[in-house]
Amino acid sequence: MIENIIGGFSSILAVGPILGIIAGVIVGIVFGAIPGISAIMAIAIILPLTFYVDPIIGITMLLAVYKAGIYGGSISAILINTPGAAASFLTAVDGNALTKAGKSGKALDISLFSSVSGEVIATLVLILVAAPISAISLQAGPIEKVFLLLFAFTVISTLAGQSISRGLLSCTLGMLFAMVGLSTITGASRFTFGITELMSGFTFTPMLIGILVMPEVLNVVRQRKKSHSDMAITRSPNPADNRISWKEYRSVFGTILKSSGIGTFIGALPGLGSSTAAFMAYGEAKRTSKKPEEYGKGSIEGIAAAESANNAVCGSSLIPMLTLSIPGDDVAALLMGAFLIHGLTPGPLIFFEHTETIYAIFAGFLITDLFLLGIAKSGFSFFVKVASLRRYYIFPCVTIFAFTGAFTAGQNMNDILILIGFTVMGYGMRLVGLNPAIFIIGFILTPYLEQNLDQALAIVGTDYHLLFASPFSWVFIALSIFFVYSSVYMKKKKAGNSTQAQEVTS
Amino acid sequence: MDRRKIDVVLSTLLIIISVIILTNDNLVEGGVETELGSMFLPRIVAGLIIIFAAVMGIESLLKLLRQAKQEESEIIVTQGFSGVLVYIGIFIAYWLAVPHVGFLVATPFVMFSVAVLLGGRNWIPITLVSVITPLLIFYGSSHFLRVYLPTWTLS
Repeated sequence: MIENIIGGFSSILAVGPILGIIAGVIVGIVFGAIPGISAIMAIAIILPLTFYVDPIIGITMLLAVYKAGIYGGSISAILINTPGAAASFLTAVDGNALTKAGKSGKALDISLFSSVSGEVIATLVLILVAAPISAISLQAGPIEKVFLLLFAFTVISTLAGQSISRGLLSCTLGMLFAMVGLSTITGASRFTFGITELMSGFTFTPMLIGILVMPEVLNVVRQRKKSHSDMAITRSPNPADNRISWKEYRSVFGTILKSSGIGTFIGALPGLGSSTAAFMAYGEAKRTSKKPEEYGKGSIEGIAAAESANNAVCGSSLIPMLTLSIPGDDVAALLMGAFLIHGLTPGPLIFFEHTETIYAIFAGFLITDLFLLGIAKSGFSFFVKVASLRRYYIFPCVTIFAFTGAFTAGQNMNDILILIGFTVMGYGMRLVGLNPAIFIIGFILTPYLEQNLDQALAIVGTDYHLLFASPFSWVFIALSIFFVYSSVYMKKKKAGNSTQAQEVTS
Repeated sequence: MDRRKIDVVLSTLLIIISVIILTNDNLVEGGVETELGSMFLPRIVAGLIIIFAAVMGIESLLKLLRQAKQEESEIIVTQGFSGVLVYIGIFIAYWLAVPHVGFLVATPFVMFSVAVLLGGRNWIPITLVSVITPLLIFYGSSHFLRVYLPTWTLS
């Protein structure tokens, strides 16, 4: 493994990958800091640009956009109390309180340092854990993979959906759309209705941009009458208020370590995501803090806990994707699509078939943290200015990038129609509480399910009981039931709490 | 707008589509015989859609019949929807126009329209951004990515 890691570093330390990382970090911070644009949107827009470069450059660039985008979200959260994602909500609470006290520099600094620390820890875990897990998962045959995929569908849908039925419905709709076109197993054309353009199914990039990115633009259009909030770094005359001292960083280092651990663990589980990690780490940090009363009123420790956990998810969410071909959240699903486009099939075999590339990507993941630290620290004012641009300059550009990105995939105007269709569908799904990210995960994983199911049935023939002969099958069935039960329990508890809260307020 | 009403309509629609998938053999053409068959998984998925859509629809229908108080997530705020429709209209017009007038001609108009829709009134900077951005994208995509965006074909 050490040899592979050293080999990875030697591949990544070249002009192309380094320029890709720098570009990715800058784009990620800018996009992440603009209210209304999330990291996932930035990745989807940048994705088509990476088709034409080496996978090492393309994938590391996308991962840099991801990491920097998650960090960038904390800039708008701290400066104008506008969290780009739910995961930055707690950062906004404490960070904006510090901004109001004239200590925005301190809040931005601790957010950056804890983000980078969390990311480094999670990346190290990813590097150390992914290859051994993939070696174990190589033992899984088609039958085990079928149950693993069913487990993934159940967990992601029940935990990430607004309700269990809506989550599962989103997933099954994604599965249905994945089956349009020529079947890879039988060669039959399904649901094409004689339209030859549908033979190859729905083009992934325009569909992805339509489902995940464009509804955000539509949301901004819908809320266009909301006033624009100007971002500005407020500076207190006392220099100590505008930076984090070594002593302050050391005082929260324990919290960062613990929260990064929580973030890494949560990120490695499919379906939970960065907001769960941030809320759990924040709660744990508050519970064990010497100054819990400061939380919510400008606590450095609070920002450190939320940001390190939130960012640790970036690295660890790639563990299930790279080892088991299961994207744990929407960004991982998008990245899985990017890997596939670049000819890298995520799964245990990736460590044997593309050893050099995968370790170069890991090395790039670590180096990104260094660049993120350097670029973000030196360019705070610049990023704040760019992110403060009025939305009528930013979103026309996003529209054109989306158009160009969708066209680039196949250089075909039909892909624009797919983009428009899925934009409307993605927006509609959000309105009715269906989850577009789960839809995408269902879409991506269905071909694997069908392929493995076919192979599994070929193995067992008419002895269907053999499907349940493997202990793995029972483990995954038991885990699926456990996750569904715990999700039902959590949702009931949450509903009970909100009813109680309503009764108290009335 | 009451989301529960939409839930009922959507569930009904999804159930109808799923029943068609379950009963219609003409949705698949050709292919070879395998253990699974081409329509095995689609039909399993259709069956699951019927179950989940029914759960969603019945839940909402019961709430409507009981006249239960709407939860926050069950209210669809329709304020500003006209802008969304205009934006989608602009995008469709863009899709129709680009093959005929080309990317470089159509894009500035689209960018300008979206900027105005979003409340932009600084005409000179908006015009400059609307003209310069497509030029940069066109040049960048053709020279660096070898992606040739549609050009004028009226002649």
